[in-house]
Amino acid sequence: MRPDAYAITIILLAATVESGTILLFPIIGEIFTERSGILNLGIEGMMIIGALVGFATAFMTGQIYWAFFMGMLAGGLASLIHAFISITLRGNQVVSGLALSIFGLGVTNFYGQEFVNLQLAHTIPQVIIPGLSQIPFFGPILFKQDYMVYLSYILVIITWFILFKTKAGIQLRAVGQNAQAADAMGVNVYKVRYFWTFFGGLMAGAGGAYLTLNCAPFWLDGITAGRGWVAIALVIFARWNPPYALIGAYLFGAINALQFQLQSMGTTIPSALLSMQPYFLTFILIIVATLLVKAKHIGVPKELGIPYAREEK
Amino acid sequence: MLKFEKRENIPLHLRILIPLISILLGVLIGGIAVMFSQVNPLTVYKAIFIGAFGSTYVFSETIVVAIPLLLISVGLILVFKMNYWNIGAYGQYIMGAIFCTYFALNSAETMSRPILLMMMCIAGMVGGALWALIPAALKAYWKVNEVIATLLLNYIALYSLKFLMYGPWRNPRSFGFPLTKIFDLNAQLPKLISHTRIHLGLIFGIIAAIIIWIIIKKTKFGYEIRVIGENEIVARYAGINIAKNIILAMIISGGLAGLAGMAQISGIIHMLQIEINPDYGYTAIIVAWLSGLNALTAMIVSFFLGGLFAGASQIQITMKVPIGIVGLIESSILFFLLGGAILTNYKLYYKGRKII
Repeated sequence: MRPDAYAITIILLAATVESGTILLFPIIGEIFTERSGILNLGIEGMMIIGALVGFATAFMTGQIYWAFFMGMLAGGLASLIHAFISITLRGNQVVSGLALSIFGLGVTNFYGQEFVNLQLAHTIPQVIIPGLSQIPFFGPILFKQDYMVYLSYILVIITWFILFKTKAGIQLRAVGQNAQAADAMGVNVYKVRYFWTFFGGLMAGAGGAYLTLNCAPFWLDGITAGRGWVAIALVIFARWNPPYALIGAYLFGAINALQFQLQSMGTTIPSALLSMQPYFLTFILIIVATLLVKAKHIGVPKELGIPYAREEK
Repeated sequence: MLKFEKRENIPLHLRILIPLISILLGVLIGGIAVMFSQVNPLTVYKAIFIGAFGSTYVFSETIVVAIPLLLISVGLILVFKMNYWNIGAYGQYIMGAIFCTYFALNSAETMSRPILLMMMCIAGMVGGALWALIPAALKAYWKVNEVIATLLLNYIALYSLKFLMYGPWRNPRSFGFPLTKIFDLNAQLPKLISHTRIHLGLIFGIIAAIIIWIIIKKTKFGYEIRVIGENEIVARYAGINIAKNIILAMIISGGLAGLAGMAQISGIIHMLQIEINPDYGYTAIIVAWLSGLNALTAMIVSFFLGGLFAGASQIQITMKVPIGIVGLIESSILFFLLGGAILTNYKLYYKGRKII
């Protein structure tokens, strides 16, 4: 039985990475959006739009990477509604984000009807990295995945670098901490906010598309099942820093993979209680994270949720 | 080219015109969306209208939907006024339904109808209030983000309901379906009008709206809430106890959502099951916002969105137009309303000339 336990652990952890990747994209995106001072609660909506567009494109064209790109783009376009309302029109960001989520759920229910219960013939193919995948234990978990997972690894590193080591990152953080001062320094506050809100939308769309193109290759109404809200919670857990996003996403992924595995093995624990666990864990995480953020005085972006109005005297 | 200048006070005609225009534009967007799926939008809207207001019976069904929307939204108005974002009415509604079901299942034989119904109302309110108290206390004492906390609690409430329905509370004689037994007549809210499903909850809703309106306009508590909502720092300097106000307002808001859940299962469904329409908790957010956070206006708006929902439920069956059209129209209305708010807050100049 020993080798079986080992094999199950590997399978579980590989599933953890996959499940975590669905969240990793949106978390990273929202980190940048919030760093610029814009709170976008529309992730759930943008994710599900990305999920449907990705699924529909793959279903109709069979081009899986093209489908991923289209899902991503759809999420990005949806974010522009929120950007326009909260940046240009200075509307209430909380309500606008919620409206975007309601919009996404409504529009995908409306146009997704003809895809309900259809299945994709092919999911995103596994690409085994020679050499690295031979590393004992970690190899099969981290490097027997697909291009999108590898993309997410690279993304964590690149976004960390952009945020802390480049001029664009400095400008972004300046806008989020003190928009007026950033403006005085010659940074175009509106442009920065538009750009990173759009980026957040792209990433949410990517997460949604990864869900339907890999983890759940079929279409169901409300298929994102609250992952967008979890992502927003994990942004706080990540303290607005991409490498920590990895931890949060994989923690959620682990509990999700574990409860799923337990359910398919036919445990006596009621399935409703198992399905609840990822949300319960996130709920505990958000409390712990908030207390940590407060104790360590880690910066919540100071201008988060506050519209910037240049002309005001 | 475009310039904005802050307004001192909001002219009345804008306060009325902007919501109306937002509704029209939202409906227009919904129509365009319908057109893309090769259905004539005019036919759809006509069917929605007839399905909502076309006969005495469908009219009464519109009111049936408006009842929970009104109960929940007036509670939300109270907390939204203080910039506290309770997105958890969904979960509070479920908890209200669960708590009152305990009495419906266990005390129907031992209590008289008025006593039992009163106990169920109280249980529903307590259930919703307790579920709202968790995020309220977390916010008040530890500054935990209430949007996230209330949303996650929604999922926890939903799975708690599923646990009960697939486990201890499933009626052994329901052929495996996740349903409790049908409530005894003792545990059913009386109907207000015969041959319809309109129940006593309508009176609850109207009373709640009036009380909330009075609280906000006429009491010290309401005044403090408004001050906190306008400027938390000022409120703190003025010596207002913010934590106490958050908790009190959330208990009221959650209690009303719980009462809505109770009214729905005791007045309409007559049993506990998984499909108890907690989505009203999200729609009520739109009601609250569309009514400009005015509890009396919320009565009209609940009725309007109730009609949209009731009408759309009809065409979902008759014309196979997916129910998602409701969310699409509602969110579009919200977008226009939020965007339009800039006109109430600012004067708009184009190349130096005042437009509005």
